[in-house]
Amino acid sequence: MAECCCGSNVPVKLLYAFSGAANTGYLADNAARRLAKLGIGKMTCLAAMGGGPSGFVESAKAAGGNLVIDGCPVACGEKIFENFGIPFNHFVMTDYGVAKGKTEITPELIAKTAFALTEKIADE
Amino acid sequence: MKIQILGTGCPKCRQLEANAREALRGTSLEASVEKVTDLDEIMNLGVMMTPALAIDGVVKSAGKVLNKDEIVRILQAGK
Repeated sequence: MAECCCGSNVPVKLLYAFSGAANTGYLADNAARRLAKLGIGKMTCLAAMGGGPSGFVESAKAAGGNLVIDGCPVACGEKIFENFGIPFNHFVMTDYGVAKGKTEITPELIAKTAFALTEKIADE
Repeated sequence: MKIQILGTGCPKCRQLEANAREALRGTSLEASVEKVTDLDEIMNLGVMMTPALAIDGVVKSAGKVLNKDEIVRILQAGK
């Protein structure tokens, strides 16, 4: 949902998950949804950023932080943000003990990964 | 040229609209100013933070109350 900046001078953080075909993309997407539920940021569309509609790009420029969660080291999300030259924080699911194409993504793993991400985000 | 002010009608959205109208008066451009308050329409433009300003359907700014001079620059670049 669009965030009104009235009454607050703290810009919202935006969450972007790479939701690719592999298990790692599935984990990235689910972990981002968990972070959004926890109020860490507002989830928005990474694919739309890649396509470049102006509203998404301008929102990313105005955000209080762009949290980009990629599935694997191919790092498509990172490349999209680098192409636009917009600052972002980057997280890759394979850095969290998940093997691409191998690890089964369970609700427990999603919860554990989301928790690890909240700690990492708090540190940055 | 169509200038759209995207926002639900809060004070910052109204300020952006006022600034846009003032900016327009300072130019010789022919343009209409339209308020977009429907959240679905705002979201369909990809705007995650209001107020936002769009020119001819292209979002030029989001989450900021641009001042008159900033809007004039955008208008002149877009003509």
